[in-house]
Amino acid sequence: MNRSTEVFDVAVIGGGSAGLAAAVAAAREGARTVLIERHGYLGGMGTASLVHTFCGLYLLREEPGAVFANPGVASEIATRMIAATGLGPVRMGRLDVLPQHPVEFVRIADELVLSEPLMELMLHTQLTGISRDTDHWDLELAARVGPQRVRAGTLVDASGDAMVAMLLGVESSMIEAPRLQRPAYVFGVHSSRLLDDEARLQTAGLIVEGVRRGDLPADALGLAFRSSGRVGENFGTLDLTGGATAADYDPLDAFCLTRLETTGRLTACKVVAWLGEKSEFWKGAYISHWPTNAGVRESRRWIGEHVLKGEDVAAGTRFEDDIALATWPMEFRETARGPKLRYPEGNRAAGIPLRCLKPAGIGSLYVAGRCISTDHDAQASIRVMGTCFATGEAAGRAAARKC
Amino acid sequence: MEVSKKKTPSPVELIDWLNDEGVLELEWDFPEDGDLFTAGLDSMAVMQLVVAVEDRFGIELGPEDLTKTNLATPTTLAALIAAKI
Repeated sequence: MNRSTEVFDVAVIGGGSAGLAAAVAAAREGARTVLIERHGYLGGMGTASLVHTFCGLYLLREEPGAVFANPGVASEIATRMIAATGLGPVRMGRLDVLPQHPVEFVRIADELVLSEPLMELMLHTQLTGISRDTDHWDLELAARVGPQRVRAGTLVDASGDAMVAMLLGVESSMIEAPRLQRPAYVFGVHSSRLLDDEARLQTAGLIVEGVRRGDLPADALGLAFRSSGRVGENFGTLDLTGGATAADYDPLDAFCLTRLETTGRLTACKVVAWLGEKSEFWKGAYISHWPTNAGVRESRRWIGEHVLKGEDVAAGTRFEDDIALATWPMEFRETARGPKLRYPEGNRAAGIPLRCLKPAGIGSLYVAGRCISTDHDAQASIRVMGTCFATGEAAGRAAARKC
Repeated sequence: MEVSKKKTPSPVELIDWLNDEGVLELEWDFPEDGDLFTAGLDSMAVMQLVVAVEDRFGIELGPEDLTKTNLATPTTLAALIAAKI
């Protein structure tokens, strides 16, 4: 079937947490919507990069009990996830987070898409070019069959890397390499027993011992293990510098990303083999899963009608045109040695105004997810999946209403 | 606050030192028997701690030392270090 002349009301670029929510919201508003995704499944960081916690779903509060910050697609996905895993929200320090399983997230995303008759999903498809005529965006796509074209009235850039800004050649923003949030390489590890707190601490001690003896690379000091909640199934999360020095990291460069993937795998293999030899707990353990992509936390951002600032997040500032609440503290991972958290005054949630989702000077275009218009500090809060669901939903709804 | 090498640190000195090393971000009035795990001592911070303890006190903490009991509070951590010096 030749569908090259198809015209949609809304096209969403990227099917991660933001793009999924955007496409669902647009379709529910009555817009004929197409969602374009480069991989063979949706979910982005939460599936392809095996990030196994939904952060930013809940309000920041002293009182026990997790309360959704942005009810809507975010709480709908969270509720389905809780039903699938049997695991509810967990308080880690001062923060409520929801453990999520990448395999379940893939299925939940499929179900959401299949329940929307106005939505079309194009997997295995990448955006390669874009132009605008009087009333439509003309999208050039790369698929295995060859180049394809799709036209749409309104566009949502949920690519995570502000790919539409790059393809249009408009100004975008990115912090200098040494201050970029470091990437994480997450992989699956099978062990014969359930990983508990004591085993985690001893594993940390073993890794330091391995590095001290020169048996393991220093990169291994960025590695932490966590149980998926299922017996024998664990995730290893390795924070990496991303290059020989922090200044060498470029999350948009294919060669740099390639080194990241191979360094992640090599380090993971060495550590798991070493632990298997040295520890009774890890005896017989093996790597069960590689991610499709290393997890990039920060890259190129749009410059919108408003730029959300770190001061606004720290003060819990609200705006007249808020479309979502940012409830995750600014989580800085500018080194591969663990996070530094900056909490807002009085646990106040900051508002994210619609203007941060509207690129300056370009109509019929919205942005969602980690590349909305913010500075580096504010991005450290709004990049998490819980908040990306919310900015995605708002962008999809706005795109469908063409407001 | 400077803690000299090979000198047994007090729990209060340890709190300052953990902050200075960037292992944890503790409030200035963090109690000597406050829960370090709730304050953010996860497995990655534990690795930083072991490396920093080795640099500063010249002692090696091994896997067998890294228990929830030993790492629970500034007081228990000071006792662990004192026992190794």
